[in-house]
Amino acid sequence: MKQIIVDGLKYRYPGAETLALHDVSFEISKGELIGVIGRNLSGKSTLCQSFVGLVPHFYRGAYGGKVIIDGIEVKKSTIREMSRIVGMVFQNPFTQISGSKETVYEEVAFGLENIGVRRSEMIERVEQALEMMDMERYKDRSPFDLSGGQMQRLAIASMIAMKPQVIVLDEPTSQLDPQGAEDVFQAVERLSHEGWTVIVVEHKLEKIAQYADKVLLLDGGRRVDFEIPSKVFSRGDLEKHGVTAPVYTRVCRALDCRMKDSDVYPVTLDAACEVLKKCP
Amino acid sequence: MVKKGLGSVHFSTVALALIPVAVGINYIGKLFAGVLKLPLWLDAIGTVLASMLAGPVIGAISGVVNNIIYGLTVDPISFVYGITSLFIGLVTGVMANRGWIQSWGKAIVVGLVVGLTAVLVSTPLNIVFWGGQTGNLWGDALFAVVMSQTSSVWLASFLDELVVDLPDKVLVVLCSYAIYRGLPQRVTQLFSRSNQMEELD
Amino acid sequence: MNSISLYTERDSIIHHIHPTNKVIYIFASILVPILLPSFAVLLGGALFGLILLLIGKVFKRALPMIGFVFLILLTVIIIQGLFHPTNSVLVFTIGPAAFYQEGLLYGLTITLRVMNIVGAFLILVLTTKPSDLVDSLVRRGLSPRFGYVLNSVFQILPQMMVSMKTIMDAQRSRGLETEGGLRVRIKAFLPLIGPVVLNALTHVKERAMALEVRGFHAEGKKTFLYEEKSYIATKPIQWGIWAVIGLAVIGRLMG
Repeated sequence: MKQIIVDGLKYRYPGAETLALHDVSFEISKGELIGVIGRNLSGKSTLCQSFVGLVPHFYRGAYGGKVIIDGIEVKKSTIREMSRIVGMVFQNPFTQISGSKETVYEEVAFGLENIGVRRSEMIERVEQALEMMDMERYKDRSPFDLSGGQMQRLAIASMIAMKPQVIVLDEPTSQLDPQGAEDVFQAVERLSHEGWTVIVVEHKLEKIAQYADKVLLLDGGRRVDFEIPSKVFSRGDLEKHGVTAPVYTRVCRALDCRMKDSDVYPVTLDAACEVLKKCP
Repeated sequence: MVKKGLGSVHFSTVALALIPVAVGINYIGKLFAGVLKLPLWLDAIGTVLASMLAGPVIGAISGVVNNIIYGLTVDPISFVYGITSLFIGLVTGVMANRGWIQSWGKAIVVGLVVGLTAVLVSTPLNIVFWGGQTGNLWGDALFAVVMSQTSSVWLASFLDELVVDLPDKVLVVLCSYAIYRGLPQRVTQLFSRSNQMEELD
Repeated sequence: MNSISLYTERDSIIHHIHPTNKVIYIFASILVPILLPSFAVLLGGALFGLILLLIGKVFKRALPMIGFVFLILLTVIIIQGLFHPTNSVLVFTIGPAAFYQEGLLYGLTITLRVMNIVGAFLILVLTTKPSDLVDSLVRRGLSPRFGYVLNSVFQILPQMMVSMKTIMDAQRSRGLETEGGLRVRIKAFLPLIGPVVLNALTHVKERAMALEVRGFHAEGKKTFLYEEKSYIATKPIQWGIWAVIGLAVIGRLMG
């Protein structure tokens, strides 16, 4: 049984003329790390929001098809219920800070207070989450006094303290400097290692290539591909879908050096070195 | 679904998240008016916008919260005038719901009604707390003149408040309307309470 | 971050009085002078407020605000002394201006009444951290969502002021005139506030979504990370204030 089933998902925002998602189907197993890629307005954010029920329950609008997570159909559930299963981190580090707490420590507890977690358990979960995100040393700071990368890690900590089954991150690094982005990505990798199912929208394809089990390529609200990274990044028509392959892949393509016993190009630095050494 | 009414309070999260921002806009409006040395306060634009976007109840709450926060941070007297702000939000919201924010002409009417409401609510407060004055130099000068001529506290106080408040509120509503008109649909849509879910096959 | 609040951190007994007691005290400061409008009560109440401000070590902080209110009240005394409808007993004249006893006394009554209320508000505002006030109200049954709304203003306002400054600089560098005649300045208002509003409203959506996925609409009872702060003699003070209000009611009925 797959953990997440998306079947024929269609969605149109209220007041919009065109569909944001168009017959999207795919399945994800527990513990997989899925990278979602595609140009702007290709439907990535809309898809992310459909896991936790923001689509359709926050916006309403027109909806068709099904998203089922852990056996629960999102459309028939509520954001309240879905957010117990699915944790979500957004693009803008500033607007996901609750804005009502004075310290990082209290901020992580915000969601737990809302859902009524007992104090002793709350403290345990907050400390665990801060430790996992390497944020303990900032626990007494104001959330607004953090750098973008630290804020984003705080957002992740706040989310994992809620103990969801699935973690969705919508371009968590797009507004960060390179170091901040690197730190966030390492944090995401740790989550994946801990066994969580992770879905991440990301423009930095080198990162996706390195960590993702599978890549979902969207364009115009449609699923173009859903495969292992090397297959998706080796597509000849990648650029036409508004995506530029990792630089290693492009170099190997230019030199026509493929992976051994297959027709795909390498997508990570290590694999590229390996292949290029033996390439005529 | 979003139920409405104060009893079983259940506002949508966007509507609630709008309230602090409305308070912030009020404050920013006042600051800009100060920076530009305008002879008006223009400190209710957020409240009026909240009413136009999310209706009378959210507008009224924005107004009250505004004065509570203002009282806690700048001027303790403003707690008292929370009642005036409540009515500003309420009247704007009700008129907006009835289709009174569709043209400049109608917006002026809304401005006049809101201004008069503010005057009618504030005047008794001024009389109870200040013996009828507003603390505004020109208004209070008029108060003194009317008092000396007619010795009617109510008339003097009413006129004192009128000259100060009416022009301000008309401009506040017009500014808010100008901003409201310029908002993209994706923003106004958020607060629309009439959105229905639709099935696609 | 709480730079916009008037709260002044001091170590005093007043700071350790329960916030809701300070709120009840405000009610008393409004009600008692209305019930018993004698000079003794008014003066006593006003002095009591000042003494509490002194004990709370915030008297100096309160002075500018009291001074400002007093300035307005001075004009009230003058105008009432000159023009109050029941004026009949002449007290003194300055040039053509004749001051009467009734008006002066009425002005004084108003002054003391306002001083009572302002004093009580200042005690609340200067010696209570806003978040502690909200916290204590939420623990006493205020909807946590409204508690959030109140608390978040203190965080959102400074952010909006940053965005205000950015936009002002940007518009000025694009040639927007912000100085000159009244017309020029009025015309500058919309191009300044418009972008701040649009920016803020866009954030409303993002913040609302982030709140929704963090259990903002959870049903059932909310819990608290910290135990409530301990306050001094909460019950006795509360009953004490109610008793004073009760006595004022009785005094009114008897008198």
